[in-house]
Amino acid sequence: MGSTTEQIIRLDLPSSIQQVYLLDTIILEILKEMDFDEETSELVSLAVIEAGTNAIKHGNKEDWSKHAHFEFIVHPDKLTVVVQDEGKGFEREEVADPLDPANLLKSSGRGLFLMEACMDSVTYNKSGTIVTMVKHKPLSDKQ
Amino acid sequence: MTVDIRKQEGVTILDIEGRIIGSDSLALKNIIDEQVDDAKEGNANILLNLADVRMVDSSGLGIIVASYTAVRKKGGRIALLQPGGNIRSLIVMAKLVTVFDRYEDEGEAIASFYKSNN
Repeated sequence: MGSTTEQIIRLDLPSSIQQVYLLDTIILEILKEMDFDEETSELVSLAVIEAGTNAIKHGNKEDWSKHAHFEFIVHPDKLTVVVQDEGKGFEREEVADPLDPANLLKSSGRGLFLMEACMDSVTYNKSGTIVTMVKHKPLSDKQ
Repeated sequence: MTVDIRKQEGVTILDIEGRIIGSDSLALKNIIDEQVDDAKEGNANILLNLADVRMVDSSGLGIIVASYTAVRKKGGRIALLQPGGNIRSLIVMAKLVTVFDRYEDEGEAIASFYKSNN
């Protein structure tokens, strides 16, 4: 359990892309409960959907015996989301830049870029199986 | 996500509603592919009405980009109508502003297909 100023919500999902809809519903409820404004909520929910899709699709290869693990750490002024898969991991540096002119018209490869663009910070563990994302509440939303 | 298909003045209009996430991108791809396959060479005019789309993820954006390429290969054109929600900002973030023609008015969007064909 966390301190009295934070609340931790844990979620384990089987590795089916259909679970993304449940993830979407849950993150939107958490953001609503935290009083995030609509615009920021859309950014955070997109980042969480991207991270969840990556864990299910690329990490766990949609293997139903594996799970995607989510931890939503609710602080008064920020939300931290930790997503872990049971795959082999990846190297962030090896993922191509979707803004490179050669990649602009590719149909995939924008997920990590969007996560990083939508959140205040996105960090990956060494083995590339855990991503930690943080979003602070906009100043006007703080109590 | 739901998609309604209608034809107007030779333009196939896809009225898309909801959030394009998860497996929706694959469903959308199949629908667009079918329309492109059915279109005659040089006549694949597709307008994606995004007015009621609240959110699209990277897979959905990727499908729209892939459709752009597929339609162009067939000598046609794809345009976006009222891209709202997060789509407008995603297009900017992904540096796709110059790729997609965007319109706020359906009549203007339909007319643009004839201007570009002439």
